[in-house]
Amino acid sequence: MLNGIFRKPRYAQIKGRKDENVDNKPKIPAGMWIKCKACKGSIYHQDIKKNHGICPTCNYHFPLAARSRIHQILDRGSWKELDKDMESVNPLGFDSYNRKLEKAKDISKQNEAVLTGVGKINKIKLVIGVMDSRFMMGSMGSVVGEKISRAIEYATEHRLPLILFTASGGARMQEGIFSLMQMAKTSAALARHDDNGLLYITVLTNPTTGGVTASFAMLGDIIIAEPGALVGFAGPRVIEQTIKQKLPRGFQQSEFLQEHGMIDMIVERRELRDKLSSLLLLHQPKEGDIDV
Amino acid sequence: MFQRILIANRGEIAVRIIRACREMGIETVAVYSQADKEALHVKMADQAICIGGPLPKDSYLHMENIISAAIGSGAQAIHPGFGFLSENTKFARICESCNIKFIGPDASIIEKMGDKARAREMMIKAGVPVVPGSNGVVESIDMAKDIARDIGYPVMIKASSGGGGRGMRLVWEEAELGKAFSSARAESKGAFGDDSVYIEKYIERPRHIEFQIMADEHGRVVHLGERDCSLQRRHQKMIEESPAPGISNDLRDRMGNHAIKAAKAVNYSNAGTIEFIMDQDDNYYFIEMNTRIQVEHPVTEMVTGIDLIKEQINIAAGKELSFKQDDTEIQGHAIECRINAENPEFNFRPCAGSISGLHIPGGRNIRIETAIYDSYCVPHVYDSMLMKIIAYGDNRQEALNLIRRALAELQIGGIDTNIDFQYKLVHTHEFEKGDFDTGFIEREFDSIMTSMEVIS
Repeated sequence: MLNGIFRKPRYAQIKGRKDENVDNKPKIPAGMWIKCKACKGSIYHQDIKKNHGICPTCNYHFPLAARSRIHQILDRGSWKELDKDMESVNPLGFDSYNRKLEKAKDISKQNEAVLTGVGKINKIKLVIGVMDSRFMMGSMGSVVGEKISRAIEYATEHRLPLILFTASGGARMQEGIFSLMQMAKTSAALARHDDNGLLYITVLTNPTTGGVTASFAMLGDIIIAEPGALVGFAGPRVIEQTIKQKLPRGFQQSEFLQEHGMIDMIVERRELRDKLSSLLLLHQPKEGDIDV
Repeated sequence: MFQRILIANRGEIAVRIIRACREMGIETVAVYSQADKEALHVKMADQAICIGGPLPKDSYLHMENIISAAIGSGAQAIHPGFGFLSENTKFARICESCNIKFIGPDASIIEKMGDKARAREMMIKAGVPVVPGSNGVVESIDMAKDIARDIGYPVMIKASSGGGGRGMRLVWEEAELGKAFSSARAESKGAFGDDSVYIEKYIERPRHIEFQIMADEHGRVVHLGERDCSLQRRHQKMIEESPAPGISNDLRDRMGNHAIKAAKAVNYSNAGTIEFIMDQDDNYYFIEMNTRIQVEHPVTEMVTGIDLIKEQINIAAGKELSFKQDDTEIQGHAIECRINAENPEFNFRPCAGSISGLHIPGGRNIRIETAIYDSYCVPHVYDSMLMKIIAYGDNRQEALNLIRRALAELQIGGIDTNIDFQYKLVHTHEFEKGDFDTGFIEREFDSIMTSMEVIS
């Protein structure tokens, strides 16, 4: 019914076509809506930002930039960065490595795949390192290993607890054996931190794999993971092809790993700061504690 | 000027906006949900785009779909109408970043005015009267006594995190204050887990008087007189009129100046409404600002002769207001009745279904705003308002005679409506005299219902 309304026979109107100003044309700026990898819904970017980088619909934890993480976790204004200007070189002369480094620096606005520094959580001083998956998938080369080792040594020297947030595809292949060496170096530094009776907490975020899993990520006194994080050494597809078997559901997901005793607890991002704060408080050295 | 505007709304307001656009030579893009395929706004617009399922959250509130429809259809501006996304800061912000003009005030203004406590603070600073009260949490009984003595009894104790009448206590004299204060705190603690309360002056038998504001983007602000919206039921307005009965020119000027002050305080632009609450002694206090066009805007249009929707579009296109304060004049009297699909006998239960047998009143000085037509099916998912009838007369009595006549002519068959209730309401002695307050309908409901007998 009423289909003729305003649809009287039309008479062509001849209009001079105006040159449309291309800059002024309405358009949706890139990145305004972000597609959630888990629920496939599209979400307004500010809604994700306000929600600590978590999908408001399905609780999927988006990867977080290192600086946002530091902002969420530390007391405001307490952050002091260590080894800020340390940069990678191309020790093997690997083709296109320099270009990749430049691109990663440009995207992440930082010099390497990890930020280390000192800060406070609810007034408790600590050393913190946060990996950033936007920088060449958080891969560990000499500089990442060196920055982490120095942070560990700083914590040992100043008798401070240490928290590392991991997010990595593993050792950086462009630096070959130098990258693999970082596994031993960081582990050795952690052993000395441990010998001094100091607390080390790791927070595994999506994804934590390869050489990072095989070294400092799994050495925490307390190992925390974010929900749904992929944690493993080799990826599931590689394993399936090697052992020629189908893997169980949820394999290498943090929930699966907790069930099998690899991870101590899964903590949602919103509760992470409070959880870390109470863990630090419980492990504060008291006067009269005997060093073992 | 815009070549194409998208109307992010439905029902009579969408039709109202499409008509204004058509008169201005602007192309229109309607959006609709799956439940509104047969709706009038869809048929009237130059093009119509389906934006999702029947539930508002899947369509009329789905920002991404609406923005996509705007970009896809090449609309340069979005008119949000009222309700839905009209006072949504996020939506206004998204429009801005997509270079689509949101026809309304800036996102930052919507945000400021949406926060009641902040709006109150700004109004105090701007010298606009607000309901006298404690300006924050009242910590102790002694403090409560001081404040109550200061603002005068009766006072209302309200829970800071409250709502729905819980943690609220009406106190008529100091002797009752102590007990009421502690019980309000206890109730608030139990209900909201927070025992902070504040005190406000209790306004007996208040009237709801609001001022229409128009402001352009060049700093000019004009008020277009007031509307009396006191006839309401559970905060749903039923009848609105302009000018308000018993408001003198002098009082209108004073209130209008305060309304302009309020709008200027936030650098307002586009159409807005400053709501005041008024006591029996003509003391008035700011309560809130609506940052959109309102349902009852036609009564103002009738008495001022200004098309508010067209002005909104002109303002959004960056034009200056076409009139100054001195050019505006309130002439005659307009009364609007809202016709809803609801049954007054069953607590105004909403009703959906097909309309059969429709007769729309006409004649001199009767204006109808509606999106229904014969055989149209009223969906159950949206607001129950079907129609607004606006009567315009040289004076209040003439307008009253006209609205009575129009209501008598109106027939909407097939569904429950409040036509009879409105008919009885406009025949009450109190309405005729202009002597009513916001509690009138609820207080006098039974006597209104039985005020006329059916003789066959």
